[in-house]
Amino acid sequence: MIKIGDITINPTKIVCLGTNYMDHVEETGLEVPEEPLLFPKTLNCLITNNQPIIYPKYLYSNRKYNRVDYEVELAFIIKDRCKNVSSDKVYDHILGYTVFNDITARKMQTKDIVSQKPWFRSKSFDTFGPIGPVIKNTDEIRDPHSLDIELKVNGEIKQASNTKYLLFKIPETLEYITKLFTMEPGDIIATGTPGGIGPVNPGDIIEATIENIGILTNEVILEGEEK
Amino acid sequence: MKIGNTDINPTKIVCIGRNYIEHAKEFDTPIPSEPVFFVKTINSLIANGKSIIYPRILYENEEFNRVDHEVELALILSKKCKKISAEDAFDYILGYSIFLDITARKMQIYDRNKNLPWYRSKNFDTFSVIGPQIVPLKEIEDPHNLNIELQINGNVKQSSNTKYMIFKIPRLMEYISSFLTLEKDDIIATGTPSGVGPIQPGDIIDASIEKIGKIRNEVILED
Repeated sequence: MIKIGDITINPTKIVCLGTNYMDHVEETGLEVPEEPLLFPKTLNCLITNNQPIIYPKYLYSNRKYNRVDYEVELAFIIKDRCKNVSSDKVYDHILGYTVFNDITARKMQTKDIVSQKPWFRSKSFDTFGPIGPVIKNTDEIRDPHSLDIELKVNGEIKQASNTKYLLFKIPETLEYITKLFTMEPGDIIATGTPGGIGPVNPGDIIEATIENIGILTNEVILEGEEK
Repeated sequence: MKIGNTDINPTKIVCIGRNYIEHAKEFDTPIPSEPVFFVKTINSLIANGKSIIYPRILYENEEFNRVDHEVELALILSKKCKKISAEDAFDYILGYSIFLDITARKMQIYDRNKNLPWYRSKNFDTFSVIGPQIVPLKEIEDPHNLNIELQINGNVKQSSNTKYMIFKIPRLMEYISSFLTLEKDDIIATGTPSGVGPIQPGDIIDASIEKIGKIRNEVILED
């Protein structure tokens, strides 16, 4: 259960897309995907607007792992249980849209990718999934594919793009995912991040913004130094 | 979700890969120096006796038409925990069950070779079977000395003992909880021994672990 603005959702999973903006594909050096590239985050990572992102000491004090990145993304929330949804019906199954920050232990992810291990542990530390500040419904956002998307660290712009550059748009994405899995009410789909990814450090203030949705603000705090 | 007489409400299933040496060898993957873990989502979970649905998008695609069985010892957690020490691990375990980690093998290998996540191949609906009951912690004195076996249509395919696990339960709990908060009822699947192989529509799968029991599930092709 998590309250996003005035709406409480009870997700069973978070499905994330990787490499879904061309400029991000290029900066990762991964292939341009032929179909949506999916990975999971678990619910222990979810926090809301203004809650701290805890930078694990385990990563911070290990030179092999001491890089943690921000990734701003447009997320959508599933309205009802669905499977095998056709792309022309997807909006019937969407409750609304919000901002998601896919915090990633980058050096750990790179190490796991190179050794062909699952992309999991690097993505699912507690607090590595800020979401919010509100959910805007499908009447409030008529076209989710023309929204400016931006991320600032300490007031400096690090990512700036528009959702029109998504490689797989929402209809294709949900059609594909529901070919594989049953989606449940409250489930979260994060549609991928544009280029400009980079590290965060304890003390940083991260502001992730999507036009017509709002600003998701979180401070980064070193584990053990929580207020 | 009801397992035997116990209702559980898990938030995640954490699975250990390559935790029996013979199994790591059969895929030519390195013996891990620390536990390798991945996640299965709750949509994949079914109970003893339910059908495993073989998806048509796998069955009808030559690139992906192999789906495998993997029998595993599962732990169910009794309470929320984070950063627990190996010596306290058993304080957080409700009990034991049998887990079947059904895997779209060709898809997994395809994804792994492209350095993509191990995710879609593991999480089709019905690709995780658990049961037939949760045996309370106290009833199994030594979880690292249990025969574990899987049969297809009466033929033994996997046969080992949990004493061959590379990383034992205390180490697994300590390691996983150093990364993530585990919640009450979350499931940890401790890895499969060697002998994994394909299943086909119509197959009856019997998975058993000494002192826990047996689960039986039929494989059927998606409508």
